[in-house]
Amino acid sequence: MNSASTLWKTVKNAMLYLILCVVTFLICFPLIWALSTSLKPKSEIFATPPTLIPHNLTLENYEALLTGRQQYYQAQGAPQNTGTTPAQFFTRWFINSVIVTLGSTLISIAVSTLAAYSLTRFRYWGRSAVPYFSLLGYMVPSIIFVFPLFLMMVRLDLTDSLWSLILGYVCITLPFCMWLMWAFMRSIPIEIEEAALIDGASRYQVFRQIVLPSALPGIIAASIFAMIVSWNDYLFGRVFINSIDNLTLTVGVMLFFEGTHVDWGLLMAASVLMTVPMAILFMALQRHLVAGFGAGAVKG
Amino acid sequence: MEVRLEGITKNFGSVQILKEVNLVFPSRKFVTLLGPSGCGKTTLLRMIAGLEEITAGQIVFGDRVVNRLAPKDRNIAMVFQSYALYPQMSVRKNLGYGLRVRGTVSADVDAAVERVAKILEIDHLLDRKPGQLSGGQRQRVALGRAMVRKPDIFLMDEPLSNLDAKLRVTMRSELRRFHLDLNATTVYVTHDQLEAMTMSDLVAVMHQGVVQQFGTPAEVYSRPANRFVAGFIGSPPMNFLTAARRGNEAEAGGGVLSLPPLSDDATKAETVVIGVRPQDLEIVPVSGNDRLKGKVSLIELLGSEKLVEVDFVGVRVLVQVRADFPVKEQSEVFVHFNPDRLHVFEAESGQSIVKRATL
Repeated sequence: MNSASTLWKTVKNAMLYLILCVVTFLICFPLIWALSTSLKPKSEIFATPPTLIPHNLTLENYEALLTGRQQYYQAQGAPQNTGTTPAQFFTRWFINSVIVTLGSTLISIAVSTLAAYSLTRFRYWGRSAVPYFSLLGYMVPSIIFVFPLFLMMVRLDLTDSLWSLILGYVCITLPFCMWLMWAFMRSIPIEIEEAALIDGASRYQVFRQIVLPSALPGIIAASIFAMIVSWNDYLFGRVFINSIDNLTLTVGVMLFFEGTHVDWGLLMAASVLMTVPMAILFMALQRHLVAGFGAGAVKG
Repeated sequence: MEVRLEGITKNFGSVQILKEVNLVFPSRKFVTLLGPSGCGKTTLLRMIAGLEEITAGQIVFGDRVVNRLAPKDRNIAMVFQSYALYPQMSVRKNLGYGLRVRGTVSADVDAAVERVAKILEIDHLLDRKPGQLSGGQRQRVALGRAMVRKPDIFLMDEPLSNLDAKLRVTMRSELRRFHLDLNATTVYVTHDQLEAMTMSDLVAVMHQGVVQQFGTPAEVYSRPANRFVAGFIGSPPMNFLTAARRGNEAEAGGGVLSLPPLSDDATKAETVVIGVRPQDLEIVPVSGNDRLKGKVSLIELLGSEKLVEVDFVGVRVLVQVRADFPVKEQSEVFVHFNPDRLHVFEAESGQSIVKRATL
């Protein structure tokens, strides 16, 4: 009886893990395939039967992207320097993406933190409605904003500059960041601030020394959200930017498709390089992310 | 430092929380604001601290009106009900924050922190975060944070309510001792009458935004100004019997009771409420003057005492007797109402109409 139930438990666990493994594999497969393809020489990419683990490991695709060498045309035996290739711009796009992501996140977080503090600590007309409206704003698909925003950018003479993207991303990330920070700030007991006020701190010192450290998990959660949205955006980058120099990664990588030939190895290497920063960030901060969203969920 | 509250009124919107509170807290006394939740006692404390605006009236520290002074400029310290420790700072930093933020040099901060930590016996916890402390330890850190700056006025908002019953008893005597050491005026808010009675020099009993009585614990216990104070202070609570008064006697519970001397202007009151504490009643075997006949309906053992519930005609009364006192449920008994121990209130206003002998 006892051993039978232990056996059943083992079988049940084994089945559970089997299912988990299959699901995980299904979810991860595109990423694994991208990684595998990016490490294959050209000859092996379309080999039949396909290989999951490359027979001949090569870093030539990464090298091409990171150094901008025109490996694509050379491989075709064509004359050198016949034109620009997407690979040439990869590092440029990468830097653009980083600038835009960090810029918009910084602005979003700064504004939403201060706004949330004001909304939770001061009494004024409409303060309880703002968070809900801002959440409503987040629920509107960004395609609705993109053309009005584009027209505004034209007026401001900001089209084709990274500023247009930074401001555009602030527009779509700020509402949710603010709501998140609002929910988080509400969970910080006001007595802590009052204690600091009595202890002798000024409003600014209270905010800087007491509130901000307490709000850190919320700030991290909101930052991750803002970074993911900005880093992964395609729409705004596509609409706001014209020149190849100012593209971000998501739009730029699409250029690998244009032309007569798709270099899958390069494309996959680019995809992997695009994914890595977010993956690292996520792994480093996911503990805070759960805490941040958790606090928001309970109190909000 | 003496604290004077002159005509303090507080409105939240159209709701009046405090109505014309006039109190004087003498220098270096331990004063307790006592009342049920919602009576305005915490609001009053927060107004003294400067955390709440004053609708009308003025607060005076010594000879200085502090109405418009920011909390940090009042040289007060406050212990919050939730302790309100800074969660991301170590105990050491928590204790020293008030000094550091005021620009004290770090050597002096360290010395002051060490000194207070030693007094409170938390010197071994200095490098821990508040999250790693027990409730009692947090309580001590909160106290320490208030003590370290040597404030003129020490404000405490129900600091013991989050502790377990046993710790509360020990902390009561400790708080009292700290108060004596600190030489500051202490204003203490609680809804627990036992805390108020055991710790305070003076108690202000509050109800619905109005101070009902302000006096020493002995005064509010033995000579309650009105029915609210009488019912709020004392455990188990005072018994109340509605009675028809005739001269210095009253008809209640199917018998006649003599009343204590009443004040001269009380002659009009025909219906009165007699109050008597369970401890002041006696169960006696035979009938006599000032004795009512009743039936024991319930007996509750408290330990060294027991509570006997006695039903009279139309009224039920609690009598506290020694645990070994011979009495049985459902038995008929006589209860002696000693006139000297009776409190008499006007039925309508609830005000005491007993003639007060000066103590």
